[in-house]
Amino acid sequence: MEEGKKLILVADDDRDLVTALSIRLRAAGYGVVGAHDGDEAYSVAQENKPDLIILDVRMPSGGGFSSIDRMKHSLTTRNTPVIFLTAFDDNEMREEANRLGAAGYFRKPFNDAEFMAAIKKILGV
Amino acid sequence: MKVYKVAYLGSDNEAALALEASLSKAGMPFASAIGDQSGVKKALEFNADIVLWDLDNNPRGKPVPLEQIRKAGLVRQPVAVVASRDNTEGLIQSLAAGAVDFIYKPVKDDLLPRIIAALNVGQKQRRIEWYQRVIEDTNKQLHGILSTLKDPAYVVSPEYQILYMNRAAEEIFGEGLRGGACFHLFYDRADPCEICAKSKGPARWRAVLKNGKSYRFVSALIRNERGEVEKIAVGTDVTPDEEVRKIHKTFISNVSHDLRTPLAAIDQYVNIMMEGLAGELTYEQKQYLSVIKRSSFRLGNIIENLIDANNVLSGHFKLKMQVLTIEEIFSVVMDRLQSQADDKGITLQVQVPDDLPRVYGDKARIAQVIANVAGNSIKFTEQGMVQIRAGFMPRDEGRLIVSVEDTGIGIPKEDLGKIFELFYRVENDNVYVEEGAGLGLAISREIARTHGGTLWAESLEGMGSAFHIALPVHKGQQSTE
Repeated sequence: MEEGKKLILVADDDRDLVTALSIRLRAAGYGVVGAHDGDEAYSVAQENKPDLIILDVRMPSGGGFSSIDRMKHSLTTRNTPVIFLTAFDDNEMREEANRLGAAGYFRKPFNDAEFMAAIKKILGV
Repeated sequence: MKVYKVAYLGSDNEAALALEASLSKAGMPFASAIGDQSGVKKALEFNADIVLWDLDNNPRGKPVPLEQIRKAGLVRQPVAVVASRDNTEGLIQSLAAGAVDFIYKPVKDDLLPRIIAALNVGQKQRRIEWYQRVIEDTNKQLHGILSTLKDPAYVVSPEYQILYMNRAAEEIFGEGLRGGACFHLFYDRADPCEICAKSKGPARWRAVLKNGKSYRFVSALIRNERGEVEKIAVGTDVTPDEEVRKIHKTFISNVSHDLRTPLAAIDQYVNIMMEGLAGELTYEQKQYLSVIKRSSFRLGNIIENLIDANNVLSGHFKLKMQVLTIEEIFSVVMDRLQSQADDKGITLQVQVPDDLPRVYGDKARIAQVIANVAGNSIKFTEQGMVQIRAGFMPRDEGRLIVSVEDTGIGIPKEDLGKIFELFYRVENDNVYVEEGAGLGLAISREIARTHGGTLWAESLEGMGSAFHIALPVHKGQQSTE
């Protein structure tokens, strides 16, 4: 990873989407690490200390909600902003994400421009 | 004058003759028989309206044997007694036993008013007896119905004291609770539940009871004989409804999730290619990608509309009610529509008169209805303008009306009544509009209805259409937010 680049963890069980997001985020000048389930997301986050975590809600071995709960209690990641990116769209889930300290909630399919703008706003670059 | 048949039951010939003389003068038929069972039968055959029983039939001091007379067949006739002046004891006891009046011996000839008065008293007595029987029967029936009812039911006093509980309620809440406070039934509360504390009127509420099931309760008011308002509450077990609702919700949530997920990947890869992140593209390749992008966008819209239609039409949606000005609703509408109108070069004009009352509703949902209708107008208008006007309908309690008028192709008469049906699309040879699955207007009308409003349309084919949305105005104080 190049120095000075902000690192983003993308965790989604849809591997194609992780790949697509990696291409897009790298093109925008960010570093990207991927994960495909809750446990992996947690260990990748511990290892890489990303600046931002993008979490899917429904994933094997611990979905986004239990992941964020663990991350928010870990010394390494408790201050790392988390954005949810999920195909679920109901108010209860948005409220739950909010309650768990998420910095954003995007519903798939999502608007690229708004999504990238939110990331830029959170990371400051 | 009405003719009354009078029967004398006794062995005093002098009295019988005096009675007959007095009554025949007034044209009243008279019959006389001895004071025993056979006499009663004769009075029955005679079809007497009133029976005069001579107390000399009985040992001195004993009352008229009313029960035996009734048993012998004179069920409804009032019985008056004929008594010697020295038989005060028998007379008093007879009146206590139910005799309607008395005549002293020797009988005088001014009897008629006395007999009519006695008949009136008798009639009243019979009516009271009848009412009592009806009340008893009705009570038995009501208790029978309530005790066989599977739904819990109870009655409470104005002081929240339980006056009655049916068997189902006792099975759920426990026995021996009569006399206790009703608010102990639902929660461990020390004071009345909010719903009753707030309003004395009939109420509806939901509660999960001690048996773990969900109930929907409805209460009605009954005024007791002291004029106090008691409440009768009946609960319906809605556990199966709740379960079906939950399953339905989970199912829809999962289906929508799985429909949206691949769309996200399609979108992403199309964007990546279009932005040249996967290498240079030819002009044709870009064209084809934009077709994919447009199609995927349409598919996404259809999916969202289907999910929304499901939520709205199955009642699985909650309105976020607040007091709103029409301006703030219109601002959401314009955000949604302005670019669509600009793209087609159509003028979007908004008119809001001053001093419009506010509405009480869900901002996003009301805006959705207006945007849907106005979006259709833009879609079906090739040139000219779409006007969105707010106004006030003063009838009854007053309604706010939003009218959307266009200079578009109009709606054929035969379609006008059907456009609000689910999946209905107007077939038109001249204009082919590819978007839309026939959901928007069905959703919109349902949203208007849920607000207590209406949505209707009119059209001049070839000239344009108008859609009107009427919404109840906010009745609270205008100054409070």
